[in-house]
Amino acid sequence: MDKLLRDRKAITIFLAPALVLFVVVLFVPICQSVYYSFCDYKGLTAPEFIGLKNYKDLFKDKSMVFALKNSLFFLVFSCVAQLVMGLFLAALLTNIKKGRNLFKNIIYLPCVLSSTALGLLWMFIFSPKLGINQALEKFGVEGPLWLMDTSGFIILPMWVIAFVALWQYVGQSMMLYMAQISGISKSLYEASYIDGCNKPKSFIHITLPLIKPMVATAMSLNAIGSLKFFDLIYNMTEGGPNHRTEVLATHLYTQGFKYNKYGYASAIGVVLIILCLIVTGLINKFIKTENYEM
Amino acid sequence: MKKKLMAVILSVAMTAALLTGCGGKEDTPASGGGTEGTAEGGVQEITWMFWDDLNATEDLISKGYKETIDRFNADYEGKYHVTPITTNLEEYYPKLNALVASNETPDVFIVSPGPNLTVYVDPGVAAPLDDYLAADGWKDSFTSDAVFSQMTYDGQIYAVPLNIAAACAFYNTEMFETAGVAVPTTWDEMLDACEKLQAAGYTPITISAGTAWCLSMVAGYLCEMEGVDLAALEDGSASWEDGKMESAGAKLKELSQYFQKTAAGDTNDVATANFYNEEAAILIQGSWAIAQINGSNPDFESRCGVFQFPGVERIIAKSDSLAMSSTTKYPEACAALMKYFTDDISQKYTAEIGGKIPVTSVEYDASVAPAQLEYVMNVFGSAKGTFGFYNESMPSTEAGAFFDDEMVSVFLGDTTPADAAANMEDFYESNCR
Repeated sequence: MDKLLRDRKAITIFLAPALVLFVVVLFVPICQSVYYSFCDYKGLTAPEFIGLKNYKDLFKDKSMVFALKNSLFFLVFSCVAQLVMGLFLAALLTNIKKGRNLFKNIIYLPCVLSSTALGLLWMFIFSPKLGINQALEKFGVEGPLWLMDTSGFIILPMWVIAFVALWQYVGQSMMLYMAQISGISKSLYEASYIDGCNKPKSFIHITLPLIKPMVATAMSLNAIGSLKFFDLIYNMTEGGPNHRTEVLATHLYTQGFKYNKYGYASAIGVVLIILCLIVTGLINKFIKTENYEM
Repeated sequence: MKKKLMAVILSVAMTAALLTGCGGKEDTPASGGGTEGTAEGGVQEITWMFWDDLNATEDLISKGYKETIDRFNADYEGKYHVTPITTNLEEYYPKLNALVASNETPDVFIVSPGPNLTVYVDPGVAAPLDDYLAADGWKDSFTSDAVFSQMTYDGQIYAVPLNIAAACAFYNTEMFETAGVAVPTTWDEMLDACEKLQAAGYTPITISAGTAWCLSMVAGYLCEMEGVDLAALEDGSASWEDGKMESAGAKLKELSQYFQKTAAGDTNDVATANFYNEEAAILIQGSWAIAQINGSNPDFESRCGVFQFPGVERIIAKSDSLAMSSTTKYPEACAALMKYFTDDISQKYTAEIGGKIPVTSVEYDASVAPAQLEYVMNVFGSAKGTFGFYNESMPSTEAGAFFDDEMVSVFLGDTTPADAAANMEDFYESNCR
């Protein structure tokens, strides 16, 4: 193995496919997007350089304000809710003896299902004429307009979508935390019990510090995933009513593919990338991790 | 050495496999776009893009288009063949644009006239059709040259209309009778009718604000009622803030108290279904809805009346149109296909089954046509003129979408009518003048 790692040619050859893929599929399009974000580009004609106009227009765009607000809401909600729920479920399932695999699979199942299908399913469930509201009507209760109400700072459809996203992706966080927890040596817990710790205390003083690196990883994944969130929103509300549930990714799609404003959409894309970089940087900075022998 | 060689070969193979999807289509014979191949036996293969699923649809007009395609393929077997590319309406333009951007423009595609067509005319995506229209007296078969007015750029025609639809108010005659309501002819009578319908326990109006152009259509009528002049607004001789749009917005807000509770999020299809499922008394919609209404609930035809939007003298009219790709290899095949859509068989179907107004002088049997078509024709006959959909009569699709959004904002209460007018003025000042 060491011999192989010293062979530069072998390293180059084996890295080449991934490098080419990264450059062609990711790096070049990102550079192109950055360039287009400074252009008036309709997709059907050649791009025309217009400087910072697209970025200036972002500040005047009402839908962009909704999109940014909703994306940040999603970011905070996902990071907090998935951390709390994921950890809770991971701790719970690690400590139960019977049915662990069954519950693990049940909770993880939505992660592997198509977001489009799930989006449509939940859209029907929250539709005024089907699902929940019909069930409520049988008890004489008039249900709210789950996906249409536009009152409040964070409107009801955003809370609904956020909970659906939590239901769908909490299994992923749970699995990551479970993997980390199961790697902690049992002798550490046994030693803590001898020293007088109960289970909650050992969770706080042993489990939490030891899974910190995974918390940082899971939070980064959640943060990036929620900033570029698209599929559930597109399938449940299409960004409506009147762009009120728009997030950055759906706004980018609308501007680029509906109105042919590829230059403007690229500017939104650049903002999205910068946000992802900032958030990931902040998470890595503020969640300090230390390596312990587990 | 052998191992190294094997490693090199495997790496090259992996890299090549990864990049397979990034390759161009130039050498690949395909049915789509301007790069379509000559199929076996010299058959000229073309594509036609449309905004409905021809196999799953309940819409009678779409079903008629499918018949036209089948008839074309059967009649020209061995010479031409057309393959439909279908999508839903909401996804239509994004998908068409993606095909255009990747140099795979469908040979023939449906498009709304006005700024939507301009998007394809300006960069040269759509081909001028004058030479084809001039041949064999094709152009003479149309009712008048006026049907081409929204498709003409610098004296050249870039699309062929297939049918004409008028935006009318469809109403449930039984509900009107039960509530003791007469067909309204003025704005006050309209509000009075809605009030009585509501008092009788009915939802007066079903409309979609989830599909913004549906609400915008009503807003267009209200702007017309207030005397908004789009041409003057575009050249800067009038201002959106002259009080007319504000007044139209206030009227929209007034009317919105009679909309169904779910109007904010209902799509066009859901709002229309509310009407033909008899959950609401009035549907303000284009006459293309006849095909959808009768296709989905044929029993309802006898209880469906039509009246002109009250308080205005002109009506909103629009047509579905076909454009031809400027890069098609087989323009003759494309022209032949377009002619099939406007021949007597298709145009008779348009009127007799689909309930839309034909664009040619074809004679059709009015007695077998949907009852609503006659009502629409009466509305058309009594109107003092037509005007386009507001969002399709503005300088760009973006301006139209901005107007739609402002009107939905007024309806939702997010914006006051005065602010909406100010926003429109700002938008026009920055982008349209």
